[in-house]
Formats: sequence, C-alpha cells, structure tokens
Amino acid sequence: MQANKHLLLWSSAGSLVVLVWAALTETIFAEWRQSQVHVAENLAGQPLDIQLRQIVVKELDATDRCISCHVGMAPGETGLPHDPVYGRHPAVVHEASEMGCTACHGGQGRATTRDDAHGNVAHWPEPMIPPRYFYAGCGSCHTHLEVPSQSSLEVGRRLFEQYDCLACHRIDGRGGTLRPGGAGGGEGPDISRIGTRGVPADWYDVHLRNRQLAAAGQPVGGLPWQVCFGEIPADHRGAIDAYLQSRIGAPGLLEAKALFHSLGCRGCHKENGVGGDDGPDLSFVGTKDPGQTDFRGVRGEKTVANWLAEHFRDPARVVPGSQMPALGLTEPQIELLTLYMLSLRRTAAPEALWPRDRVRALRLGGREFARDGATLYGTFCAACHGPAGEGRRYDPAAAPFPAIGNPDFLAVASDEFLVDTVTHGRPGRRMPAWGEKEGGLRPDEIREVVAFLRTLGGVRQEPDPKPRRWAKGDVAAGQRLFAASCASCHGPEGRGGEGLALRNPALLASATDTYLFETIRRGRRGTTMVAFGTGSPTQRALSPQEIEDLVTFLRTWEGKP
Amino acid sequence: MSGLPTETDGGPALGRFADNLKRIPRRFLETMFRGGRPDSDRGRSNFVFQNVFLHLHSVRTHRWSLKWSTTWGLGMITLGSFLVTVVTGVLLMFYYKPYPDVAYQSIKDIHFVVPTGHFLRNIHRWAANIMVVGVLLHMARVFFTASYRKPREFNWVIGMLLLPVTLGLSFTGYLLPWDQLAYWAITIGANIAQSPREVTDALGITQQFDPGGLQKLILLGSDEVGEEALIRFYLLHVLILPLVLCFLVAVHFWRVRKDGGLARPADVDVRLPPPERRTFPVFTEAPAKTYSLAAVVKSRTPAVGNPPENTVPSMPHLFYAEAAVFMLTIFLCVLLSLFIDAPLKEIANPLVPENPAKAPWYFLGLQELVAHSAFMGGIGIPMITLLGLALIPYLDREKAGTGLWFGGSGGGRLVAMSAAYGLAAVLVVEAVAIRFGWLQQWWPGCPQLLIILLNPGTVLTVLYGIWSVWVVKRFDSTRAGALGLFACFMAGFIVLTVVGTWFRGPNWEFYWSPSQWPGH
Repeated sequence: MQANKHLLLWSSAGSLVVLVWAALTETIFAEWRQSQVHVAENLAGQPLDIQLRQIVVKELDATDRCISCHVGMAPGETGLPHDPVYGRHPAVVHEASEMGCTACHGGQGRATTRDDAHGNVAHWPEPMIPPRYFYAGCGSCHTHLEVPSQSSLEVGRRLFEQYDCLACHRIDGRGGTLRPGGAGGGEGPDISRIGTRGVPADWYDVHLRNRQLAAAGQPVGGLPWQVCFGEIPADHRGAIDAYLQSRIGAPGLLEAKALFHSLGCRGCHKENGVGGDDGPDLSFVGTKDPGQTDFRGVRGEKTVANWLAEHFRDPARVVPGSQMPALGLTEPQIELLTLYMLSLRRTAAPEALWPRDRVRALRLGGREFARDGATLYGTFCAACHGPAGEGRRYDPAAAPFPAIGNPDFLAVASDEFLVDTVTHGRPGRRMPAWGEKEGGLRPDEIREVVAFLRTLGGVRQEPDPKPRRWAKGDVAAGQRLFAASCASCHGPEGRGGEGLALRNPALLASATDTYLFETIRRGRRGTTMVAFGTGSPTQRALSPQEIEDLVTFLRTWEGKP
Repeated sequence: MSGLPTETDGGPALGRFADNLKRIPRRFLETMFRGGRPDSDRGRSNFVFQNVFLHLHSVRTHRWSLKWSTTWGLGMITLGSFLVTVVTGVLLMFYYKPYPDVAYQSIKDIHFVVPTGHFLRNIHRWAANIMVVGVLLHMARVFFTASYRKPREFNWVIGMLLLPVTLGLSFTGYLLPWDQLAYWAITIGANIAQSPREVTDALGITQQFDPGGLQKLILLGSDEVGEEALIRFYLLHVLILPLVLCFLVAVHFWRVRKDGGLARPADVDVRLPPPERRTFPVFTEAPAKTYSLAAVVKSRTPAVGNPPENTVPSMPHLFYAEAAVFMLTIFLCVLLSLFIDAPLKEIANPLVPENPAKAPWYFLGLQELVAHSAFMGGIGIPMITLLGLALIPYLDREKAGTGLWFGGSGGGRLVAMSAAYGLAAVLVVEAVAIRFGWLQQWWPGCPQLLIILLNPGTVLTVLYGIWSVWVVKRFDSTRAGALGLFACFMAGFIVLTVVGTWFRGPNWEFYWSPSQWPGH
C-alpha cells in the first residue's frame, strides 16, 4: 500500500505541476499577449487594448490573426512607428483589412504562435514566403501577362531614363526629386504601379500637346514641359510602354519573370500548359511542400526558397540524377529566379474572385510572355540553342545543341523548313514539337520566332528556283563517299555521333535537296561541319556531282529510319 | 464526535441554529458516506457496499490482486484514459462543429483561440492513444496469465468485443478534424470496408452481390468521404460507440466481480510474501456460506469453501491502488500533451491525395497487408485473428499455470522461442515482399483470386498456424499452442506496424527513412 500511496502522491503532484504550467503558458505567457504588452509599454499616446485580433475575409475564407502580434498592422492601430514587426504595414497595392495577410504572405492565418503562424511546423505545408521574396505572394492570385524578355525590359528602362522621365515622375522610389538648382521637380505622378491600371494609350499625345501648349504660353505647367519632354520615336515609345506595363508595385517580380523569359526555361518546363516536357511542370512549384522535399543536398537553411536557390546553383547535387544542366547563373539571377519560382503558387480561389489577368491567362488564352520574336526565342529556345543562337553543349559526352543562328544554316534553310521544324520537332531527338497540341505555341508565334531567327544570322535565305527534289546522282558512289567522309561524325548508319543524326524521317521530309546540297557544299562556319565544296587540309574538295551523289544516297534512308 | 454540543442540548433556538451551522461540514460528510468514518473493519465494509460507485468492488480484495506484477494496472489505465477522453471530449464538443470545412476551422479555433483548447485537444488525443495501447496490453496480460480460463471465459469474449469498439472509437475520432491526414486515413479505411468487392470482383458477381460496396455505403453514407460520412463518424464517436462501450464495460466489470475477482494461481498462499507491516487485518477464515444468493437458493458462490483467503479490506488497499493508477494515467496524458501536439494538417482536399496516405498507427500493420490484398489484410486476417482469440478459452480447458505469467506448458521459454520464430517469419516475408515484390510483379497476369489466397498476410498466418500446430504436438498441450500463436501474432503485429509507420513512403514504397522520400 505504501508504494501505491507514493505513486498516487507523485502522480497527483506531477499532474498539478503540468496543469499549472499549461495554464500559465496558455494565458500570461501567450506569445501574442507578450507582443501586445511590449507594444503597449513602448507606445506613447493612447492606450492599447490587449486582446486577440483578427481580420476575417469571407470571400477568401481567410481568418488572419497575424495582427494579434503585428498589432501595428491592425486596422485603426498605429503600433510602434517604423518598427518592421510592430509598426504599420508599408503601403502596398492592396489594403490589408480587405485582403487579410495570408492571401499574399502564406502561412497559417488562424495560428496565434509565431512558429505556427509562420508555418514553420510539422504538418503545415504552406509556410510563409521569406521576407526577401515577399512579392512572390502576388502570384497567389495574379498571372502577369505579356512580360517581355529581360533585354527588352532593360531597353525600355534605359530609354525611360534617357528621355529623362525621372525628372518629373517617380518610379520604385527613384526620380521625381528636386532638380539641380532647387527649383521644381516631381511635377508628374508616381507611376510605380501604372501597370496595374494599364498604361494610358494616349500618354505620348497628351505630353506632346502639353509641350506645344506650354511653348505657346498656355498655363499647363510651364517650364518642365519644355525642358524635360521631347519627341520620342515610335519604336522607343513601344519599349517604354512595355517597361511601364511591368510597373505593378512589385519591384523585382516582373524582372524575375523577364529573366525566366530569357533563359529558355520553358524549353524543358511547362507552366500553365505551355512549354517542353523534359523537366517537371512548374505551374505550382511555389507551393512545394517542405515536408515532402528532399533537403539532403541542400546547404544552408531548409526552406523551399533555399532549396530552389541551391537547385539553380547545382541541380544534380540537390536532385540526384537530374537532367537539368548547371546554367552558370550569377547570384542576382538566382535570386530573381527563386523569386519567380516562389510566385508560381496560384491558389485555389473561386473564379468570381479571380483578377482580370488570371482570367485572361487561364480562360481567354492570354499569354504570360510577350509575343515578339525576341521574347519567344528567349522563353523557349535560348536554353538549348544559346541566347544568340550560337548553340550549347552542357554534356561533353553528348552531341551539342545545333547553332541555329549560324549564317550558313540560315542562308540555305527556308522559312517553311524552319516553321516545320519548330512545329513538329525532331522525333527521336531532343528537339520537341512546339505545335499547339504539344509545346503549346500558336502558328503566328512560331512565325515570329522564325522571323527573329533570321535577324540572328543577319542573312536572308538565298532564293532557290529548283524543285524540292531534284538530285539524281549515283547511290553507290554516294554510299562510298558517305563512308569515307561523313560516317566518322554522322555515324556509319547515319544515326548521329558528334554530328547530328541524318537518318531522321522528319529532317529528310522537311529538307529540300538544295538544302542538303548547300549544307554539304558550304559547311557550317564555326562548327565541325567543314565546307566540302572547298575542302580543308584534311579533306579533299568534293565536286558538285559527288555532292549530288551523296544527297541521292541520303534520300535512300527516307522511310527506313 | 468531539466536545461539540448535540442537538438535544437545550438552550435558545438561536444558539442551536449557530451550533447546527458549525456542524454542517462534519454532518455533510457523515450523510454522504452512510457508514460514517471507515475506521473499523465493519465501517470499511460499509464504505464499499453502501456506495453506488464503489459497490462494484468486492468488500475485500485478495492480496495477490494487489501485487503490481499481477496486472500492471493495465485495465485501470484503459478505464482511466477512457474517462479522460470522455471529459475532454465533452469539453471539445462545445466548440466542435461537425460539418466539412467548418469542422476544420473549429478545430483551428480550438487549437489557437479557445482558452486551453489546444491543451484539451492534446489530452484527448493522447488519452485515446493510451487507451488503445492499454487495451492491447491488457489483453496480452490476461492472455499470458491464462486468466481467461473458467469461470472467466465469457468475460474474455466481452473483452474481444471491447477491442474493436475501442479501435472504432479512436478511428471515428480520426476523421473529425477534417484535415488531409484525417480525410485520407478514412478514405483508406473506407476502401478496406469495401474490400470484399475484391473477392466478388474476382468471382465476377459484384453486379449481383456486393457486400463490400454496401459496407462502405453504410459507413460513409455516400461514395466518398464527405459531409454524410462526417456526421456519421461524429455520431458514432460521441454517442453510439461510447454507449456501446459503457454497456460492455459494465458487463465486463460485473463479471470480474462475479467470476471471483482476478485469477490467481492455485497455490497462491505459498507464493505470497508475508503482508506489509502496516496492512489492515488479513482475512484467513474460509466462509461456510455467503449472504447473497446462497441464502435463497441451493447453490454455492465462488467464495464458499475456499481455503484461508488472504484478503485485505478493499477500503483502503484497493482504492489506493486504483486511485494511484488513475492519477498516473492522467499524469501521462497531461505530460505528453504538454510536449507533443496532436497533428493538424491543411484542410481536407478531395482532389489532392496525401502520398503516402496512412491509416491511424494501430491499423498500419493491417495497411501493410492491405497493400497486397485489401480483403485479406483488411477483413480476412483481422476476422480470423479476432475469432481465434475469442475461441481460446473454449479450446484451452487446461488447469496448469492459471494466474501466472506465461503459465502453462512451455512457459516463458516457449513464448520467447515463439516470439523469435514469429519475428523471423515476419521479417523474412516482409524482406522478400519488399526486395523481390510479390505475385503481381512476378506474374503480371496473375488472377486476383490467387493473390487473395496467397499474399504475405496469408503466408504469414499459415506459417504461424503451422508453428502452433507443431507446438501443440511437441508439448501435448492446447495452451502451449495458444501461447505460441499469440506470441507469433504479437511479433507480427509489432513488426508490420513499425514497417507501416516508419518505413513506408510515397506509393507505399519502402524507405529506410522519410528523408529519402522523393521530393521532386
């Protein structure tokens, strides 16, 4: 009985201690209460009611209690001025009391402890977006359309500055300040968010008219119109328009998307149904569940953001066996790409609440990328064929990706040949089909890409009066020549090696005899394909008849892949 | 009665009133316990049988029953954790709303806003888990001490009913938070309920006869887990199953009392050490008759004619023991709840399956078998096991070893050997299934009926069966066979549960650790 009495005593005492401790942590030591006490103690002026606070947004099914600790961000509260945690929310496009917090920031709105609310706990798959990637939160609802490639965006930004727009306007915290001498400055509105309402189509005309009026002495503002505004050529206006359209109050986010549209990521990755199939679909990569993520190859903190950044630094280290090449990106580029990846998080929301851009992207066929040739090339082709069409070689053991900007190639390749190749791809090789059903590009977009390709080589296609098929050479002679001169690179069976596979039905179907003939005769400058028409120190020149024999021999492979 | 004046004392009415007022606390206690202070043997007896809650106990308790090693308090731990779940559960019901999505939000509110709600929910969850563990260990204790034997056969069968009711209570509670964990665990459970369809499909008679589909429909009230399922599970969890459990528990306890208390070995008096110094009087006379039914009909109750009884008054000996174990249970619940939170994932989403979707831990051993054959793993083998367990007392009619740990032919050595055999068998079968796959992989066109008959679960059952038959022959004892079989099944249950819990990842593939789960 003594043992039982002891057990009873100590169990009861233990239970009592635990219960008292639990009661204290639930009440006095509650984190949100401590936060509010801290604010109340440091708050000059009116007293602070210490209470649990929440923003309820029925439409978004959000009940966000974040403001129980971030008390300065609660409607009607001031908090501690300039304090990032307890101060007011910086001015942003959306009003926090209308949108709540989690719609943009992620995390667990109903939680009232720091770790739970920020989502850094087991079983909570959507932690908060880390502070330096906050603007990724826009991607929860928005899908930004017609974003140009990085270079186009950069051109627009430079022009904007060159034309001295910053003299009057303020954008992302720059410009619109006092002019030298102290007089004037900041006459124009802040246009950091002009993209959200749409750039007015007539801004140039209005500016120009005002300038003329000012010159005529009309009271429209006087001096600035005359000294700070001049005529702008139409193509420059277009670039400036594109830049302004990207100003949506989320600095960095559209730059990130522009970078995504310059590195050719969509060549392998689908996003929103458009892109290649070699890599995983990226449409929801921003909502990756950290609990289901393999962090073994990741150095540093175990967050999805760091996982992504580490993955860009060295894909194979983070994902063993990954096919993705190390792209040799700079740290700022990695930072931008990580931001963009985190923004790919379209949350499930009732369609009635979708912003216009998302409706257009998902329902009305709106494009996320600008549809000029340069952006399309940057978005889909640049990763493999190089930013300037110079070709790429990631894996020394594999054949390089063709240099499609090569002038020798562009001189002999017809537009139909290029369109055909892009649309149907090269079955059996890495080049995927980009037609609407496969890669998701529309015919007019493919024509834009081809037009852009022409500008890369700087040459036009030489006119070809001959029919598509005209070679009538000697097959046996062609076979002997192939074995002697071609097989070392293209393989004895024509199945490829260092050079590309010629025994390819799609290639042989779309290539004309002239194309094959001229390619052999001229070779490809800057590649290992020599000009067989002129020969080289190790290769005697072939006569036109011999080249025709070769072409005739190649044709025998048609239909026998 | 101290020096206070009694009511017969004279004096002015106001004085008497003041005296009565002063006496209230003492009088209140006296009226609450009819026999007054239990300071004599008679008073202690009165204390028990005059009290509606205590009179389920015998007035005197055998000293053997009070030894810690007799029961390890496992039944009391189970009852205690059940009472804790009842109290915390009722409190949770104030805030819980059984409707999809709203349910999830109300759990979030309980967790984050309701004062102490988070703590209460943790306690509820931990108590439920302790109850499941307690029930399983209690069953093992009763089995290994051969306490199911005459006259306790029927009570063992009641216990076999209490086991699935306890698991059912825990399982129905699993859905209520309406998070991903809950939703997909219950989806798995419902598919197991549907698994007889595997057999009817293989026979091609599902169109005419579909008990599996009906079972799932009854459970979910729909084809998939939704609002109908939630309200059903809620009702089962808070009303039907607790009532069934209370009813069965009442019978269970009544029978413990009527079957003569806890089982003891025949030579119990030799085995007991001398009583502690401060023990209340030990009873040593064999009663010639008892004053219950024996007084009105020609019969004997279990108490008649037993040799010197070696009993002590239940008040206070038994009640201290029970109170101690009860408080220990509460201490365990609150301590675990302080440090380990009940899980809550994101809101249930029927479009995004959890991968892996896992049932509650106590079903993961079965889920491990379900991966091969839903019917055998989910219904066939559990039914065979439960039925086999329920029949044990009717098959083992031996006398040797009752009331002793691992009592009976073979003893502890046989149990150890059987556990080793059971362990080896389950490890080999699992290793083969994990390393080389099973019939489906070896012979892609294999008929489903063959897989139902021949899968790791049935192979294991047959291996264990063969062992037990061999043991029966070897020791010439049914009890030995039962010991062997039980030890085997225990080893199998533990290994399968461990594998299912910690070594299964997405698509139920084998992984040494969750950090190896593919994340790309």
